[in-house]
Amino acid sequence: MTTPAALPAPPAAIAARGLSRAFGTLVAVDAVDLTVGAGAILGLLGPDGAGKSTVLRMLATVLRPTGGDADVLGASVLTGQDHIRPRLGYMPQHFCLYPDLTVDENVEFFATVRGIDRPERRRRRDDLLGRMGMAGVGRRRAGRLSGGMKQKLMLAVTLLTQPALLLLDEPTTGVDPVSRREFWSILRDLHDGGTTIVVATPYMDEAERCTDLAFLDAGRITRTGTPAEITAAVPGVLVEIAADSARDVVADARGRPHVVSAHVLGDLARVVWDGDPTPAVVATELGVPTGSVRAATMDMETAFTVLAERGDR
Amino acid sequence: MNSTGRLGAVVRKEFLHIARDPRTLVLVLAIPIVQLVLFGFAVSFDVSSVRTLVIDQDGTPASRDYLAAYEGSGFFTVVGTGDELSDVDDAFHAGTADAAVIVPAGFARTLARGQKAAVSILVDGSDTNSARVAEAMATALNSLADQRIAVSWADANGIDTQAGQLTAQSRTWYNPDRISSLFLIPGLMVVIVMIVTVQQTAVTLVRERDLGTAEQLRISPLRQTELMVGKLIPWTVLGLADATLIAVLGMIGFGLPLRGDPWTLGAGAALFVCCALGLGLLISALAPSAETANILGIMVAFLPGFLLSGFAFPLEIVPPALQWLSCLFPARYMVTISRGVFLKGAGFETLWPQLVQLGAYAVVVLALATLLYARRQR
Repeated sequence: MTTPAALPAPPAAIAARGLSRAFGTLVAVDAVDLTVGAGAILGLLGPDGAGKSTVLRMLATVLRPTGGDADVLGASVLTGQDHIRPRLGYMPQHFCLYPDLTVDENVEFFATVRGIDRPERRRRRDDLLGRMGMAGVGRRRAGRLSGGMKQKLMLAVTLLTQPALLLLDEPTTGVDPVSRREFWSILRDLHDGGTTIVVATPYMDEAERCTDLAFLDAGRITRTGTPAEITAAVPGVLVEIAADSARDVVADARGRPHVVSAHVLGDLARVVWDGDPTPAVVATELGVPTGSVRAATMDMETAFTVLAERGDR
Repeated sequence: MNSTGRLGAVVRKEFLHIARDPRTLVLVLAIPIVQLVLFGFAVSFDVSSVRTLVIDQDGTPASRDYLAAYEGSGFFTVVGTGDELSDVDDAFHAGTADAAVIVPAGFARTLARGQKAAVSILVDGSDTNSARVAEAMATALNSLADQRIAVSWADANGIDTQAGQLTAQSRTWYNPDRISSLFLIPGLMVVIVMIVTVQQTAVTLVRERDLGTAEQLRISPLRQTELMVGKLIPWTVLGLADATLIAVLGMIGFGLPLRGDPWTLGAGAALFVCCALGLGLLISALAPSAETANILGIMVAFLPGFLLSGFAFPLEIVPPALQWLSCLFPARYMVTISRGVFLKGAGFETLWPQLVQLGAYAVVVLALATLLYARRQR
């Protein structure tokens, strides 16, 4: 009797081993090991200067690692650029199109240099701009678009070659909430279509939309996991206390034995409590009315803050 | 998509950049015209009349002959005659004359004795340009008129009269062949093309880097050489258009003759434009920022263009170190070609060394720019 062989796991879209980059004496990325499965949305999180952009640029083959290697779409970034580049879309953090050219001219130019032939260029342009809700802006100068439009145009240009892997460097930074939601709905469509996406982001609510997360700090990966795994890594539960002086409650809570972390959010004091207390326990200890205390779901923002405070990221 | 398609896309894009930036267009099209007109007028002042007051205190046939030479020269227009020195002051103050020639009493007698006769030429020094011009012309005239006439110079600025302070030689090295507006225009053409092209290409690659588009181009199949050549083609066209514009304006507006072989000139201009563009690309590949590229572009275009090309000074009179330095810039070869063809009627048989030098220069500088740009991208 033969047991059916287990299906081989889909090859990873990215497998980095000891990936490093130094700029002079500054080590921007320090021996990063990272695996991204095909079809995943990996959120690359971390403070400014953590090395997120440098990691993405090395994976995009526009920056040479000074140490280690990474296989991207099955080829090494050191030797296989010609294999990787045609199937890769890389969108840097800053606007990287020609501001003095119109939307159509930008799309036309990048489509041509990327080797898409004329009828296909036109079809994809109309399709992509339509999906971005930018059908009517073809004749506008790219530099005069709003921030959200610019990002969507960059994404459209990045998607021209229908890449299997998308590397996005803070694509929604400085973009209004409505445009951000639109942007993510486009990303979700791409994800549903099987595209692997790596997105660097400073926004924790965006992290929750990812299938996998990697925290980067001072050039090192400090934690990886699914959003559920990350929030589960925080000890205790989150409770919210509605108070007129949330600040005072937080100040009072900090340093108490059961309190892991305490922060103000609007007029709420959000306290991470070790163990699983009832509201009454919390209310008694902090000296607030029991009715003002309620349990809340641990979110990514809190999890990230707590893990950062504990130096246990 | 083949290489031609990608190259075409870059060329189209570069033309769009140029068309979208009115300042670039002004720089490229208007500046040559303005420069040419400015230089043309400044220089045509040389050959036009210097308003001159003559004072004949001698009143002899010899003095009248001497003064007639001034009228007949075409350089000087005699606007009046005076009797004494104070008339000169009045005329300068009133602005009715720029120069005065005074033939003192006893002029004919001194000449008759076979001695050197003294003649005073006063120039209104408040306009330094016309002063220098008039001095130079009077010197030329005197040497033609009579070697025996010694001229005592004076530079009059209203009241202050200091004889013998100015020397006429100051002008002769500036324009060694002879005083002529035509001499400057062929050189000016070279300088203008150099200024327009070097500076423009100097910023072009830096701009791609600053915009972040350089990275996007790197992950496209566009090759380094396709990008370089694509950037060069529009500026080659514009550079040659500028050269043609200046040549045609010079010929129509200033009577510049085209005595030699136009094909040699065209070949030289094409090679020269490539050299200048290559120099710009080299700056662009090396400069850390757009500002640096801009300043380097201006320096590399202006200094060697004006000073080390032979446009303003013959290279023989600059210090040897600068002569060596001038060999590093393409302008000097092209000035030789341009003057040779326009003025001396030269063709390929005399100018081929310069053409070869320009060709070699173009190849080296373009290869170097491509190499350095590629290396920096690592």
